[in-house]
Amino acid sequence: MDNSLTPPALDKGTPLARARGLGAAHEGTADWTIQRVTAMGNVVLMSWFVASLLQIPRLDYGSLHDWLDGLFPASAMIMLIVNVFWHARNGLQIMFDDYVDEKGNWFAVTALFNLLFAGAAVFGIVAVLKIALGVPA
Amino acid sequence: MRRADPGAQANRDIFMAERPLSPHIGIWKWGPHMFVSIFHRITGDGMAFVGVPVLLWWLAALASGPDAYATFAHQASSWYGIVVLVAISFGFFNHLVSGLRYFVLDIGAGFELAENKTWSIAVPVIGTLLTAAFWAAIVYL
Repeated sequence: MDNSLTPPALDKGTPLARARGLGAAHEGTADWTIQRVTAMGNVVLMSWFVASLLQIPRLDYGSLHDWLDGLFPASAMIMLIVNVFWHARNGLQIMFDDYVDEKGNWFAVTALFNLLFAGAAVFGIVAVLKIALGVPA
Repeated sequence: MRRADPGAQANRDIFMAERPLSPHIGIWKWGPHMFVSIFHRITGDGMAFVGVPVLLWWLAALASGPDAYATFAHQASSWYGIVVLVAISFGFFNHLVSGLRYFVLDIGAGFELAENKTWSIAVPVIGTLLTAAFWAAIVYL
């Protein structure tokens, strides 16, 4: 069949007309699900963090360093960094998706804060490793 | 043959521009449920912008030795440092309680008007009480 005989008007439906009848996408809920799963992890990890802060008698360098160089606190803090930063990155992405309308600006801001968050997570994890693996003060 | 047609996009823009917008925030009478919704976003994104850098500074100071930690502690215990830390904790506890409310809404519960309103008011109250309790425990325990 010769495609050139297709009336051009048929290719230019409204967005609604092109979407009608296609059914559900069966995708697009990844952000929503990840935000809930990381939120569950945040409840556990941040509860541990707040309880730890309340339990440490004095919040000075020595006490905090002694606490965070332990195997469990260091592991939990690294998990907290990964989980909380992932949740924060997702939340920022949702905000920018909602409010930054112009595509070029959206790409620029998305690229910038994703790279920043990746770098921030690595920085935080290396800081915890330095505390945990360094020579005891 | 189909080709990208710049005219089609322009037609679509004009078409969309002439459509009536769906009712947006301007026409609604403000209620507690609207407040907790936007407050969840403000506290969340606020912590991403302010809480994350403070957490990283705190960890980096701990990793860099007593002198670096003294610099952090000096700023953190100044009046503006305390304002920032209280704001972060206030944002955290409100976001936490508000997030727990979302877990309940996600299973389909809590949408009845009266119940929804009650918990929308309760969320910032509980968040504020938890913030106060946290700082009371830090200062007095």
